[in-house]
Amino acid sequence: MNEHRRQILQMLAEGKICADEAERLIAATEPSPYSSTVSESNSNLGVKPRPKYLRVVVDSEEDSGHDGPTKVNVRVPMQLLRAGVRLAALIPAPALRRANDAMQEQGVPIDLTQIKPENLEELVEHLNDLTVDVDQRDANAKVKVRVFCE
Amino acid sequence: MIPFVAVVSLRNQKSRTFRLWIPVFLMWIFLVPLGILLSPFIFIGFLICRVNPFRGVAVLWQILTALSDTQLEVEHRSAGLSFHIL
Repeated sequence: MNEHRRQILQMLAEGKICADEAERLIAATEPSPYSSTVSESNSNLGVKPRPKYLRVVVDSEEDSGHDGPTKVNVRVPMQLLRAGVRLAALIPAPALRRANDAMQEQGVPIDLTQIKPENLEELVEHLNDLTVDVDQRDANAKVKVRVFCE
Repeated sequence: MIPFVAVVSLRNQKSRTFRLWIPVFLMWIFLVPLGILLSPFIFIGFLICRVNPFRGVAVLWQILTALSDTQLEVEHRSAGLSFHIL
């Protein structure tokens, strides 16, 4: 029991205030469920905010060094990704079958006809947790690729 | 919201930056009447492809509105390019 509530109950016991006043005072001392912001409640619950962008950062450096490093930074809104996914869901079945055949020829056994718009939406939602780091060092170059959501 | 302006920044070896603001909204002014005129053909095109034309148009509109805030930057010692849709 917190200090304020104890004091109010003590005042009620001493007859300084009536039961209605005590009830109102207790209600006033309790934090309102709407007083905290959404972000605060999210952080309290451990919920991550929804990502707004997909970022692709590429850092490339040639060992010869005279050209200097090349940096590529791409920021794509998640809304665009979602719209693209919906566009992909509009692809007619015969085209998907042809894509399936072509992918299987390349050794990628994915059945695109099984991918439904609702699954794709879920996939985009879970990109929040995705981070891809590629660090490649060749004899001539050093390339770092980072894909993440923010 | 549909994109209204695209900003292209170019940087040369002397670190001189040229920033170009492209008024994309002018393009919409031309494209909207053209789209209305071509809408029967677009509609037929969707039907030929066995795609629901209303869903197709809705998805294209979603892509258009989602383009805002897309950013691409390429930086090199000798030059740099930045493209930002606002």
